Amino acid sequence: MSYIEIRGLSKRFGDTQVLDNLSLDIEKGDVVAVIGPSGTGKSTLLRSLNLLETPESGFLKIGEKEYNLTCRSGSDRRKIRLETEMVFQQFNLLKNRNTLENVTEGLITVKGLSKAEAERRALLELDRVGMSDRLFHYPRHLSGGQQQRVAIARALAMDPELLLLDEPTSALDPELVGEVLTAIKKVAAAGNTILLVTHEMNFVRNAATKVVFLEHGKVEAQGTPKEIFENADNPRLKQFLYKINFLDLVDYYI
Amino acid sequence: MDVVLFDWKLVFTQIPEILKAFPTTIELTIIATLIGYVLGLALALVKIHRVPVLRHIGAFYISFLRGTPILVQLYITYYGIPLILKYINLTHGTNYNINSIPAVFFAIVALGLNQSAFDSEVIRAAIESVDKGQLEAARALGMTGGQILRRVILPQSVVVAIPSLGNSLIQLIKGTSLAFTVAVVDLTAAGRILAGRNFRYFEAYCSLAIIYWILTIVLEQVFKRLERHFRIDEQAPAFEGKEAQRLTAVLESVRAEKAEVSAT
Repeated sequence: MSYIEIRGLSKRFGDTQVLDNLSLDIEKGDVVAVIGPSGTGKSTLLRSLNLLETPESGFLKIGEKEYNLTCRSGSDRRKIRLETEMVFQQFNLLKNRNTLENVTEGLITVKGLSKAEAERRALLELDRVGMSDRLFHYPRHLSGGQQQRVAIARALAMDPELLLLDEPTSALDPELVGEVLTAIKKVAAAGNTILLVTHEMNFVRNAATKVVFLEHGKVEAQGTPKEIFENADNPRLKQFLYKINFLDLVDYYI
Repeated sequence: MDVVLFDWKLVFTQIPEILKAFPTTIELTIIATLIGYVLGLALALVKIHRVPVLRHIGAFYISFLRGTPILVQLYITYYGIPLILKYINLTHGTNYNINSIPAVFFAIVALGLNQSAFDSEVIRAAIESVDKGQLEAARALGMTGGQILRRVILPQSVVVAIPSLGNSLIQLIKGTSLAFTVAVVDLTAAGRILAGRNFRYFEAYCSLAIIYWILTIVLEQVFKRLERHFRIDEQAPAFEGKEAQRLTAVLESVRAEKAEVSAT
């Protein structure tokens, strides 16, 4: 039995079955990378776990606690949201709050921490991602990479069981990707459990403990980065890796 | 005998006399503005969240108030509210006294409702200007709908709405000059009463023009200040002052604590 279990997760948009009875196991401290062609439900998987989308069915088990992801009551939904935190592709920092306030906001309003406690937690996490020198800056004063690091600190400060990173570097200029990936690595090294959607295959290869290949809303293949990238035997996975220039198909050499 | 065609001195000397009615105009303006904001916000939320039934009532209400002259609306409240009271008295056997309602009440109701129709559109546009990503982020953090409204949506939409709300307030303060039609002694009424005594109507209206103009200029300045206050400067604020010192100290202690933990 794994620490985090996702069971029977299904979500459809109109006629499209985006997630099809998906199940996934995550161990504590795992860095699970979700890869796959666009439109296969990678983001929807993350968003369903955070209830930004309401799935048609699905259960989330974390340790001893089990949640029904289809629940409707506001307080139940907030409980589930407290277990996970989301980092978005577009950072989504509050534009009217400075760096420090962006991180303390959830701690004060949602977790009910005192201002002093919230500040200590916020500073700890901001320091970890290297943003403690820009506490008074507003999002408009920060580069994309800096904003994303603040967003990571904001999510971490809430102390989630599972950190959801939804293409955290896709909206960044190439030269800013490195700083965010470095921050994520540090976060992973600190023992946080991470579910990550990304197209940075080199990063996945280096930092992930587990890779999940998603296609048509189903887990087509999963394994260690080595198993996925070097010994791929699933034909669909091979095709995908080939398309993103990450696999030299043997046929290629013929 | 000299015939004074235009007594320009009087234009200025009678201003203090007219200003005795200033509190009434301010009372009308402030209360009608508050009614406008609160009802306007409610109407905007109804429209944004597409609340069934209420949405249609709201659309009808806004359409009516924007489609009829404020003067007509003033008369409708002035004659309509007593009618409603009479009806209640007749059907419930109560004995509410119509004459005990101060005239200013009718004007406040009419102006406030009228204001809410215009403000609701301004507020709706401002709320919809807050980008959806931030709302998702706030929801993902676990904030409740009310918290998101109070702490994310309203602070940001206020900044967007300030110029338009300023305009609408300026419209309103001039609109209060119609209150004299329902027997409220506001600035305009005070001017007319004065002119009724000395028949210097032209001078009275000149004085009124000056008063309203200055009021408007002051309001414009206030809103400009507000706008500047809420605007986030292009330049990042410097990390200095007491607050910066305090936070630096907190950061040091957090770092020390972390080092201690990792050392053990």
